[in-house]
Amino acid sequence: MKGNHKRSRLLGIWKRFSRSKTAMLGLAVLCIFILLAVFAPLIAPYGYDEQNLREAYQGISMRHLLGTDNLGRDTLSRLIWGSRISLVVGLLAVAIGAAVGGLIGSFAAFYGGRIDSVLMRVVDIMMAIPSMVLAIAICAALGPGLVNTMIAVGFSSVPTYARVVRSAVLTIRQQEYIEAAGAIGSGNWRTIAKHIIPNSLAPIIVQASLGVGNAIQSAASMSFLGLGIQPPTPEWGAMLSTGRQFIRDYPMMVVAPGICIMLVISSLNLLGDGLRDALDPRMKR
Amino acid sequence: MEKILEIKDLGIRFKTDDGIVNAVNGVTLELKKGEVLGLVGETGAGKTTTALAIMRLIQIPPGEIYQGSILFEGREILDMSDKEMQQIRGDKISMIFQDPMTSLNPVRTVGEQIAEVIRLHQKVSAAEAMRKACEMLEMVGIPAERSGEYPHQFSGGMKQRVIIAIALACRPDLLIADEPTTALDVTIQAQVMDLMENLKKEFGTSMILITHDLGVVAEICDKVAIIYAGEILEYGTLEEIYNHTAHPYTQGLFDSVPDLDEDVRRLKPIDGLMPDPTDLPSGCKFAPRCARCTEQCRTMHPDMTVLNGNHGVRCFAALNREG
Repeated sequence: MKGNHKRSRLLGIWKRFSRSKTAMLGLAVLCIFILLAVFAPLIAPYGYDEQNLREAYQGISMRHLLGTDNLGRDTLSRLIWGSRISLVVGLLAVAIGAAVGGLIGSFAAFYGGRIDSVLMRVVDIMMAIPSMVLAIAICAALGPGLVNTMIAVGFSSVPTYARVVRSAVLTIRQQEYIEAAGAIGSGNWRTIAKHIIPNSLAPIIVQASLGVGNAIQSAASMSFLGLGIQPPTPEWGAMLSTGRQFIRDYPMMVVAPGICIMLVISSLNLLGDGLRDALDPRMKR
Repeated sequence: MEKILEIKDLGIRFKTDDGIVNAVNGVTLELKKGEVLGLVGETGAGKTTTALAIMRLIQIPPGEIYQGSILFEGREILDMSDKEMQQIRGDKISMIFQDPMTSLNPVRTVGEQIAEVIRLHQKVSAAEAMRKACEMLEMVGIPAERSGEYPHQFSGGMKQRVIIAIALACRPDLLIADEPTTALDVTIQAQVMDLMENLKKEFGTSMILITHDLGVVAEICDKVAIIYAGEILEYGTLEEIYNHTAHPYTQGLFDSVPDLDEDVRRLKPIDGLMPDPTDLPSGCKFAPRCARCTEQCRTMHPDMTVLNGNHGVRCFAALNREG
């Protein structure tokens, strides 16, 4: 019966979610990108590192739907291959940032007092360092590469999440039902997991869906500096920064990855908005 | 009869930026099995603080329990480990909070919230817990089909019933009801009180009913304690308090209740305000507002004196009159 109960709750969330057209649009766009990433070897017309210098700097044509870059590589193919890297970097970096930051923030807010002071001062110190510089420092220490880039970008966003989560939890923990949870014998961990986090999800979801875009951009900057993902591995941000030099004569090299990033970010924002509303049972109409 | 709860000389203070707030100053209470004790007092008299201390839910710091003991079934609550306390809360002692609107988690269904307390304290499967939760809902007069609904879909009175269902789900030995009807309108109040009275009869739960409503006390309580500025001023059975009122403050409380048979233009309030808990008077705490105050009351602190049987009072004037 409990299983049914859980399923019916998920069903309820899905029902509320699917009622929002914009959220469904966001989900659809994101699903397309995920499919592209998964089936990249089947879909991409060329390999991501197939150079053909004779065909460099081409515009839109039947042979190369989105043109080619300075080394004559097919832009469309590189975008499709790149979605693998960019989506993973974006989503995982945010997951790392939100998980670590969220844990720090909710701990600080729940226990208060000295624990709060110590944790938040550490966060303040992290905040005092520009997140880009922090990411560069972490990446320089760990060495370049996909995983390290994600860790670097994720950790550099920890302070933001810690702050957002802390303020959300501070309001929730004043509520009487948190005291009531204590009064039925629920331990601190359980209270945080079952009562506080579900109630403070809304601001986290909004922050996270905006954060994916930021993470992709940060990862791109890292690649640009030679610290992130190494060429020839295609990554949207890196493609963007390479194309930057040629923006006057061959705008397609910048426009194409730019549009991809924009589409992913806006679909995640729509998705995040819909999800936030769907998770709040009071929004039922 | 066996004593289920014994509070001795309990003292609680809070350290704030404005000074030390003396919330509870030497409260002594006892409760026998199956009895209902009414804890009556104004806002800020220390009723809720006392209740939270029994559950050991006082935030320390800023709070501090600086003296006294709380014995529950003969065991000292203040010395228990956090783990033991967690097992007792919700199982042996449970609490109904004042405001049903904010005491339920808005993002979880009421069924889940009742099942949660059952799963915390009994080794049952999730399905079994949910079945029991539905039974509890039926018992407080809510159809079991509504267990999948969220708190905002219930009215205030029904939410309070859900809270009562949570509190009683594990058949506690002691139920602390902190102004269970204050946030409800009068007709719903009556329903909730009826429900609590039935439950008391059915399960023989001991209860501490915290309220400022003397009518509610008369309906359901066996014993009454009048609390003022963190001190018990008068203590006794319902009959002793209502028909042989000894303390001027208790008398003042009764006088301020409008009478159906009498036609009066104005209510009779007790003059003045409760003393500032950061700066309590040195003598009798009620002296500044008392009509029968003497020099002795201002300088000396009256002790709790037993008049006869259980009836105790903390007042010089009442003693002199008796003597």
